[in-house]
Amino acid sequence: MQTDNIIEMRHITKQFPGIVANDDITLELRRGEIHALLGENGAGKSTLMSVLFGLYQPEAGEIRKNGQVVKIHNPNDATALGIGMVHQHFKLVEVFTVLDNIILGAETAKLGFLQKKEARRKVEQLSQRYGLRVDLDARVEDITVGMQQRVEILKMLYRDNEILIFDEPTAVLTPQEIDELMATMREFAQEGKSILFISHKLNEIMAVSDRVTVLRKGKLVGTVATRETDKQALSNMMVGRPVQLEVIKGKAQPGQSVLEVDGLCVRGEGRRRDVVRNVSFQVRAGEIVCIAGIDGNGQSELVYGLTGLEKPSAGRVTLCGQEIGRASIRQRGQHLSHIPEDRHKHGLILDFTLEQNLVLQRFREPAFQRLGFLRQGAVRQYAQRLIQQYDVRSGQGPATVARSMSGGNQQKAIIARELDREKELIVAVQPTRGLDVGAIEYIHNQLVAERDKGRAVLLVSLELDEVLSLSDRILVMYEGEIVGELDPASTDAQELGLYMSGAKREEKEGEGA
Amino acid sequence: MKGKVSKLWRREGAQSVAASLISILIGLAVGAVIILIMGLSNPDLGLGTVWEAVRLEFLGLFSTGRTATGALTFGFNPVSMGDMLFRATPLILTGLSVAVAYKTGLFNIGAPGQYLMGTAATLMLALGIPTQVVPAPLVWLIAFLGGALAGALWGCIPGLVKALLNINEVLACIMTNWIAANLVSWIFDGSQFRNLAESTKSAYIYKTSFNGVQTAKLGLDQLFPNSQVNGGILVAIVIAVLMYILMNKTTLGYQLKACGANRHASRYAGIADKRNIVLSMAIAGALAGAGAALYYLSGNTEFYWNTYQSLPDVGFNGIPVALLAVSNPIGVVFTGCFMSMLDVVGQQITNLTPYNEYITDIIVATIVYLSAFSLAIKLLLRGRRKRRLEEAEGGKSGPVDAPSAHAPATDLGRTGKGGGEG
Repeated sequence: MQTDNIIEMRHITKQFPGIVANDDITLELRRGEIHALLGENGAGKSTLMSVLFGLYQPEAGEIRKNGQVVKIHNPNDATALGIGMVHQHFKLVEVFTVLDNIILGAETAKLGFLQKKEARRKVEQLSQRYGLRVDLDARVEDITVGMQQRVEILKMLYRDNEILIFDEPTAVLTPQEIDELMATMREFAQEGKSILFISHKLNEIMAVSDRVTVLRKGKLVGTVATRETDKQALSNMMVGRPVQLEVIKGKAQPGQSVLEVDGLCVRGEGRRRDVVRNVSFQVRAGEIVCIAGIDGNGQSELVYGLTGLEKPSAGRVTLCGQEIGRASIRQRGQHLSHIPEDRHKHGLILDFTLEQNLVLQRFREPAFQRLGFLRQGAVRQYAQRLIQQYDVRSGQGPATVARSMSGGNQQKAIIARELDREKELIVAVQPTRGLDVGAIEYIHNQLVAERDKGRAVLLVSLELDEVLSLSDRILVMYEGEIVGELDPASTDAQELGLYMSGAKREEKEGEGA
Repeated sequence: MKGKVSKLWRREGAQSVAASLISILIGLAVGAVIILIMGLSNPDLGLGTVWEAVRLEFLGLFSTGRTATGALTFGFNPVSMGDMLFRATPLILTGLSVAVAYKTGLFNIGAPGQYLMGTAATLMLALGIPTQVVPAPLVWLIAFLGGALAGALWGCIPGLVKALLNINEVLACIMTNWIAANLVSWIFDGSQFRNLAESTKSAYIYKTSFNGVQTAKLGLDQLFPNSQVNGGILVAIVIAVLMYILMNKTTLGYQLKACGANRHASRYAGIADKRNIVLSMAIAGALAGAGAALYYLSGNTEFYWNTYQSLPDVGFNGIPVALLAVSNPIGVVFTGCFMSMLDVVGQQITNLTPYNEYITDIIVATIVYLSAFSLAIKLLLRGRRKRRLEEAEGGKSGPVDAPSAHAPATDLGRTGKGGGEG
């Protein structure tokens, strides 16, 4: 028995309906190492960690701590064994203060009275020691996502956990916060704490981890030392075939103008003032135009104005020669498909099945209904075709409830639905957010293929890499205005960053003062 | 593939039925315990009476009175059976009203108000149109449709308020309930429809049979002689089937459910979300109004018009009827009959034992309480079966059959955690 393994998960198997989420997976975590767990969406990373944290019971396999077999029936058992977890979606009580959240479930009490003073001292010490800045008296609902994550980390430290699980911790953080988190993780490892780090972001894994275990479709691909591998090799392991990390595309052959926007203004939430101000641009058939910008500079509202989710307060929008400024969403849908920013709010009806979601706009067509009755056989067939063509994976095929699908496959379902409608204009808002390399590669290739079929693509993205590699033209949005048009071939991330931060702008002709 | 899916559905359905039956059994058991406690604490009652009351509690529908020696007799009782169906008629419709709204993401607590408006419209049309001029069956139809329409219009109000102003439908429903209660009292106060012929009664409206307008018996009086049953129950069942088809087979039902499940995504897809919210409430209101119409068109029911102080129970009882049926329109037919059976049971207990019918109110209350837990009971059932299967499997690996593995994912979906992977 090796003693340097603090945790061993041996031959773990965990099944869900129609899917073996973990198939005979063995994972060894050494004391004081940062061990990355890499895999595509739905590869079984979160499931495996949930097994370790006692949220799921495996059908087969055993877990050892320091060589001793342990049974983890629930998170309390896990905590008792020194295992702590920061979930992808934080588990905090929004209306409680930071301090109350940290001590919740591990309160020290005397005669039934909370001993908060002692707890406060301990939390303050931990917070200082690791540079985890938090405001102990602020309410969780009032603090930033980054600080919420620090609260979650302090929760683990407060419970003296020595095995720390981070489930996709960087998905919600800004670049600066990511750097801080990495530094904190390294510090923990130096102190002898052991870290399991779930991610599908190769840069982070290369930067911080000691070893990487790769899962694919519920199976173990292998464990490698980080310094003996590279990004390309890891992504090939993860996807199971050579992956292109760069987008390969030919030169755009723009045709005639599909979308023309002239002086568009859109009100923001509360409708008090315009957050899209006097925006004009056009998108031609056969080109990908990208709206770049830092989140919250009016990109979402611009898309709402174009797709009809919000009525513009001024300006003209012309789609395929028709003025659509006042047209309904359904009328616009005849020429436009929309991959929405928020796939849970707008993209899918989570409680509907996959097949019901795939005909969300098309159910009125004669192919899918007769005299007001849904042709369920036709819907099923259509769904099966899309599932196959776009490789949407789910437990029970067309009858899978959308909520139970992995994020990547939910997004694939939306992409399938929108691209298959074959409309002249495709509006794609952050289509690859939160997805793994395999899915990103797939979606990028799909968008390029649509472009080459002569469709106009308007892409809104926050990722600089994506903007630079995918677009044929870049429009930079800053504080609701388009401040520059750039050619991706002749610009770079630095210049783009200057425009995005408002430090640089092109003066438009004909715009006084 | 197809067979597999329908098998799963049946399993899902079977679980719902089992959960509802367990709620019902616990409710009946609590009733029996109360009967026992009352019996033991009262020297006049004794264990013999307790045993009689408990037997009636479970089998009251089949009670046929006592023999000459005083023993309870059981058998087919056409009067009880027919009365059960008669009383189930409005309950099925208010149950459908709540169930259809619930399926479209709305909680229709406004059924009592819609029911009252339906009552008023039905009675005014049935009594107001002279049958010398218009043939009675036509008046019946006009009165029925008028009742449904009045309910629909009343249901539209909370629907509009929700769709346009985003005000919670529960608040608007409660307010429109009381507006209806006062409005109806005011409409009938001093109207020509008050029953003045029978001087012993005050504040009652004429029966619709006064004008010769009553629901045809359709031969049901042959099956259940001397009971109040009429063709209304058949109309209710037909409507339930139509609602099942509407919700599950049509594009309209698809749209209504889509708006209920995710208003934003429906709007994104070009579905008129506001129109559908109003339409859902209108359909719900029409169902409650139709329930009132069928009840008062029976010809042997009288409407007590001083409603400003109380709302009709049958409106609120639609909620447990729908809950017990897990909002399945076909299930509502059975749960509606069950709730009215409890009424009949209460009567039998009152008639045959020193207990009174309020014991059935306690049973109903317990069942209502538990029906809210039926989801929890369902999850419990799944957990049990999964554990048993696991024990049988002995933790060995290899594919387990679908139903046992079905449990965790649905739990997952319900509680909404771990949406990412799995």
